[in-house]
Amino acid sequence: MSKSISYLIRRLGFYLVAAFAALTLNFIIPRMMPGDPASIIFARFRGKLKPEAIEAMRQSFGLTNDPLLVQYWSYLKGILGGNLGTSIAYFPEPVSNIISSGLFWTIFLAGFSLIVAFSIGTLLGIFIAWNRTGKLDTLLPPTLAFLGAFPYFWLAMLSLYIFGFSLNWFPLSHAYGNQVSPGLNLSFILSVIYHAILPAFTMIFVSLGGWMLSMRNTMISTLGADYITFANAKGISSRHIMLRYAARNAILPNLTGFGMALGFILSGALLTEIIFSYPGQGYLLLQAVKSQDFPLMQGIFMTITFAVLAANWLVDIAILIFDPRTRK
Amino acid sequence: MKNKIQHSSIVTRWFSGVISNKKALAGSCIILFFVFIAIIGPFLIQSPTEFLGTPLSPPSNKYLFGTNGQGQDVFSQTISGARQTLFVGFSAGILVVLIGALIGGIAGYYGGRTDDLLSLIINIFLVMPGLPLMVILASWLPPGPGTLLGVLVLTGWAWNARVIRSQMMTFRNRDFVSAAIVSGEKNIRIIIIEIMPRMLSLLASMFIGSSIYAIGAQVGLEFLGLGDISRVTWGTNLYWASNDLALLTESWWTFVPTGLSIAVVSFSLTLINFGIDEVTNPRLVSERLWREKIPKKNISNGITPVLKSHE
Amino acid sequence: MTRKNLYQTLIFGLFIFCSCEEKTTRDREGLIIYQEQFLSWVRNFEPLNPASVPRWPTRGGIYEPLYIYNPIKAEWLPWLATKYEWRENNKKLLFTIREGVQWSDGKPFDAHDVAYTFNLTKKFPALDTRNSWEYLKSVVAVSNTILEVTFNRVYVPGFDAVAGTYIVPKHIWESLKDPLKFSNPNPVGTGPYTEVLRFDSQIWELGKNNNYWQPEKPYVDKLIFPAFSSNEQVTLALLSGELDWSGAFIPAIDRIFVAKDPKHHRYWFPNTGYSTFLHTNTKDPVLSDVRVRKAISYAIDRSQVVKVGMYNYTKPAHVTSLSGPMAKWHSPDITSKEDWTSYNLQKASKLLDDAGYILNNKGQRLKKDGSLLELDIIVVSGWSDWIRSAQVVSQNLNKAGIKAKVRTYDFGAWIGRMQRGDFEMSIGWAEKGATPYNFFKGMMFSEYVKPIGEVADVNWHRFGSEKADLLIKTLEKTSDKKIIKNIINDLQHLFIEHAPGIPLFAEPAWGECNTKYFKNFPSKENPYGPLSNNEQPSFIFTLLNVQKR
Repeated sequence: MSKSISYLIRRLGFYLVAAFAALTLNFIIPRMMPGDPASIIFARFRGKLKPEAIEAMRQSFGLTNDPLLVQYWSYLKGILGGNLGTSIAYFPEPVSNIISSGLFWTIFLAGFSLIVAFSIGTLLGIFIAWNRTGKLDTLLPPTLAFLGAFPYFWLAMLSLYIFGFSLNWFPLSHAYGNQVSPGLNLSFILSVIYHAILPAFTMIFVSLGGWMLSMRNTMISTLGADYITFANAKGISSRHIMLRYAARNAILPNLTGFGMALGFILSGALLTEIIFSYPGQGYLLLQAVKSQDFPLMQGIFMTITFAVLAANWLVDIAILIFDPRTRK
Repeated sequence: MKNKIQHSSIVTRWFSGVISNKKALAGSCIILFFVFIAIIGPFLIQSPTEFLGTPLSPPSNKYLFGTNGQGQDVFSQTISGARQTLFVGFSAGILVVLIGALIGGIAGYYGGRTDDLLSLIINIFLVMPGLPLMVILASWLPPGPGTLLGVLVLTGWAWNARVIRSQMMTFRNRDFVSAAIVSGEKNIRIIIIEIMPRMLSLLASMFIGSSIYAIGAQVGLEFLGLGDISRVTWGTNLYWASNDLALLTESWWTFVPTGLSIAVVSFSLTLINFGIDEVTNPRLVSERLWREKIPKKNISNGITPVLKSHE
Repeated sequence: MTRKNLYQTLIFGLFIFCSCEEKTTRDREGLIIYQEQFLSWVRNFEPLNPASVPRWPTRGGIYEPLYIYNPIKAEWLPWLATKYEWRENNKKLLFTIREGVQWSDGKPFDAHDVAYTFNLTKKFPALDTRNSWEYLKSVVAVSNTILEVTFNRVYVPGFDAVAGTYIVPKHIWESLKDPLKFSNPNPVGTGPYTEVLRFDSQIWELGKNNNYWQPEKPYVDKLIFPAFSSNEQVTLALLSGELDWSGAFIPAIDRIFVAKDPKHHRYWFPNTGYSTFLHTNTKDPVLSDVRVRKAISYAIDRSQVVKVGMYNYTKPAHVTSLSGPMAKWHSPDITSKEDWTSYNLQKASKLLDDAGYILNNKGQRLKKDGSLLELDIIVVSGWSDWIRSAQVVSQNLNKAGIKAKVRTYDFGAWIGRMQRGDFEMSIGWAEKGATPYNFFKGMMFSEYVKPIGEVADVNWHRFGSEKADLLIKTLEKTSDKKIIKNIINDLQHLFIEHAPGIPLFAEPAWGECNTKYFKNFPSKENPYGPLSNNEQPSFIFTLLNVQKR
C-alpha cells in the first residue's frame, strides 16, 4: 500500500512542477504581446479622448516599469494569496469576481454534457462491440463519425437557427430567462434546464461518436481475453459477460480519457458559449484576449490549468482504487 | 541484408493491406480528390476575391454556389479555400507526428534520466489547456497560416509523443531489438530501420487523427476571427458568412458548401483510419479471417476469437 | 415498459411547461436597449475614470454635463448651465448654473458640485480624462449659481472639455478614500435615470429619477439591458421584438430587419459630419510626395468601397472630409478647388507619371530603381467593415498599377504601429469635435508631429504645416465667430492643397429601433437628435422623448 502512496505523492510532485511551469508561462505570454492596455483603452474612445490622458491611465492600471523579476515575484505572491489582480476590461472589478461568475455556468453546461455524452457513448460502445455483426455496428459508427466530422460551431449555429429561430422550440440565448430571478426557486431551475437543452444537445451530439468508438475498441480488445472465453464456456449469460466481465475492464482506459476531459471542461465550451450567448468562462477568455486584459487572461488560464491538474490527479487516485493491476 | 528485406516487405505488405480495405480506399480517393482540387482548382476558376455580383444572391447558372455578402463567388471561394486549410492541416499532422516520434521515441528507447526529463516535458505540455492557449497565442502573433501552424503544433505534439513513447517501450524489450543490439547495430539505426516500420500503422493513424484535429481546430480559430481574415480559407469563409448573418438572411449557400467540404474531408480521413484499424488490429484481423473461412458462423455472443495471423 | 412511458411523459410535460413559462410576454414597461457588448454585466457606474467602463448610460444619462452638443443639429444646448460668457479677453469663462436641480437622493445641486468635480480631477490627474488642467488655472463657485473658470493661457476650444465634463455629487465623492478604485454601485446623479432596480450578470434594469429637473420627463419608467454576446444575437433579438433600441452594425439591413416588419422596424444611419480615412504616412519616402497621395485618392472608386464595404449605408467622402452636419463649414469657394476624391484613373495616371513612376507593359508602376511600387494597407482584424473596404481599395489600386496588399493586425499591435509611425497606409478615424478645429489640428499641426519610432498619440501620419500652425494658434485665441469661420476656410484650402490624408467615406452613426411598443424615436423625418445610442452624451435626447405606446 505504501508503494501506491509514494506513487501518488510522486504524481502530486509532478503536478506541482507543472503548475509552476504553467504559472510562469502565464506570466510571460501577456507581457510579450504588443501594445499595452492603456493605449488600447485610449484608442477605444476612437478619437473622443484627449491624447495626454494615457499616462494618467497607466497610473490607474498600476502598469509599472519595474524590472521583470520584481514583477514576477509580486505576481507569484499575489497568486498564492488568492489575489488575481484587477481586470482591465471590467475595471475596477477584481479578476476573481469575474471568473467566479462564469465558472458556475461553464461547469454546469460542459460538465452535464460530458457526463451524458460519456454515459450514452460508453453504453452504445459496449452494445455494438458485442453485436459486431448487427446492423447497428455497420451504421452507427460511420454515421456518428460523419456527424462528428462537421465543424462543431457549424452544427451549433445550424441547430440554433432551426430549433431556436425558425421553429421557436428553444430560447436563443443566455442561461436563464429574463423574467425569472436567480435563486433556489422552481421557475429559475426549470428555466435553467430549458435554456441548457439546446447547447448541451449540440455538445453531446458531436462528442458522442468519440466516446462510443473508443469504448468499442477497448471492448474488442478485452473480448479477446482468455477469461472471457472461459466465462462463455462456463455458460454464463451473454449479458452478464458483456457487462460484468468485459465492460468493467474495458472502461478503465476510457476513464482516464474521461478524467482528462473533465479537466478540460473549463476550456471546452468556448464555441458553444459564444454561439448560444451562454455566460461562461470560455466567452470571458475570448473577451479578455480581444481587449488585451492581461490579469483576466492570466486568471482564466490559471483556473483552467489548475482544474486540469486537479482532475488528472483525481483520476490517478481513482484508477489506483479501481484497477488492482496498478497496485502491484 | 536479411533485415532490409524483412522491413521493406513489412512496409509494402502494410500498404497493400490497407489499400485493399474498402473503407481506406474510399477515404483515400476522396482525400486525393480534394487535394487535387486544392492544387489545381485555383487556376481554373475566376477570382474568389473580386466583388462581382449582387451580394447574397442564390445559386444560379452564372454563380454555381451563389454569391456571398460582398458579392464574391462562393464556388470560387470554396475551391480556393481548400488550399490553405488542407496545407496547414496536413503539415500540422506531419509535424506533430514527427516531433512526437522524435521526442517520444527517444524517451521510450533510452529510458532512464533521458526518459524522466523528456516525460516531464511531455506531461507539462499535455496538461496545458489547448484551446485557451491557442486562442491566446493566435491573437498575439501576426495572423496567418504560419501562426496557425505554429499554434497547432505547439499544442498538439505532446499527445503523440506520449503514445509513441509507450509503444517504443514495448518494442524496446522485444527480441528482435535485443538481437540487433547484440549484433552491434547503432541505436539510431535500430530506431529508424527496425522499430519505426513496425509502428507504421500507429504513425499513420496518428497522422490522420492529428490532421483531422488540425483542420478542425484551424477552422475553429479562423471562425473566431483569429486567423488572417483577408485570406480565403475555409475557416475565413465561415467567419465572413457568420459576420454577414448568413443564417438570418437565409443565405444557406454561403456556409453549407464550405461546411460540407470540411465534413467530407474529415470523414474520409476517419474512414481511412477505420480501414487501417481493420487491417492491423490483430483482433479484428483474426475475426475477419475467421469470418472469411466460416461464412455464416453465428458470432452473436461477440467474443473475439484470437487466431494467429501472419506476421 | 410502463416505467419508460412514465419517464417519457414526465420529460415531455416538463418540456411543455418550460416552454410555456418562457413564452410570457416581454416587460412592456421597460425600453429594452443594446449598446454594450458584454456577455455578463459588471456593476460599475463610475463616470470620471477613463480606465473604468461604466454601464451605459452613466456618462450622460445618470451624470450630466453643463452643456450638451447635438451633432444632428450641430448646436450646443444649455443643460446643467443656462448660459456662459467669455470675459477678460477670453481668459475667464463664466457659467450660470441652473437653479432648482436636485440630485436623485433629494439633495440640492449647485455650482459647488461643479467646482468640486473639477478640483477633484485636479487633485487626481488620472481622472482628468480630457487633460483640462493643462490650460485651466482655477475653477471656483463664486455663488450657488455662478461658476468662474480661469484659464492659464487663452484657449477658446477648451470650452468643449469644460462644458462637457460630467458633474458628480460632492457629498458622495468627498467621503471616498480612493476615488480611483471606486465603482459607484449605487449611483446618485442629476440625470433622468438613476435608480438601479435590478442587477444580475445576465440582465440589469435602470429606473427613472423621480427628482429629475425636466418636468414630466422621462416618459418611460425604466430601461432594460439584457446581455448580448454578438451581433447575431442582437439582430435575432431585434427581429423577435425583444429589443427596442440598438446601435449595432447590421449587414443588408433592409432585407434582414426592415422587410420583416416594415411598419415598425426602422433604422437611421445619418452622417456624423466627419469621414473614415485612408491614412498615409507622410514620412514614408513614396508617400511624402503629395502627387502620389492624390493619385492614390483619384484611383479609389469610392462608390464601390461604399457598396461592398459598407452595404451602401453611407456616401463617398467630400474632399475636405466634412459633410452632413459639418457641411455648413465648407468654404464659399470650395467647389472651385481641386476635388481629388472623385474617381478619375486618368488624373491618377498623370500624377504618377509626373512623380516619376514608370508604367511597365504589365500595367504595373515601377520606382526609379526598377522595383515594383508596393504599399501595404493595415487594418484592425475584427473590424470587418473596414477590412472589406480595405480590400476594395487594394483592388482599385492594383488596377491603377500600385501593388497594394491588405494586412490585418489585432488591435493592440495595430495601434502600436500607428502610434510609432510603423505603417504605410491604414484605415482609421480622424479627430472630431463640435467644430472642425480638432480635426484640422489633428491633421496638420506641426507640434503633434513625432519622429518615426516615437509614440505619438495623434497625427499618426505625421504631417505638419507652418501655415496651418499659425491659423490654428490664432483660432485658439478667439471666440469671434466670423474670424473662426475664415480660419476654418483657410484650413480647408490647405488641406485640399496638401492632402495629408485620404478621406474615404462619410462616417455614419448606427441606430435601429422597433416602434411596435414605443414611439417618438428620432428619424430622418423627425431629426431632433441622433438615433444612435453610441453618440455620447447626445443619446439623452432620445431618452427624454421616447414614449410608451
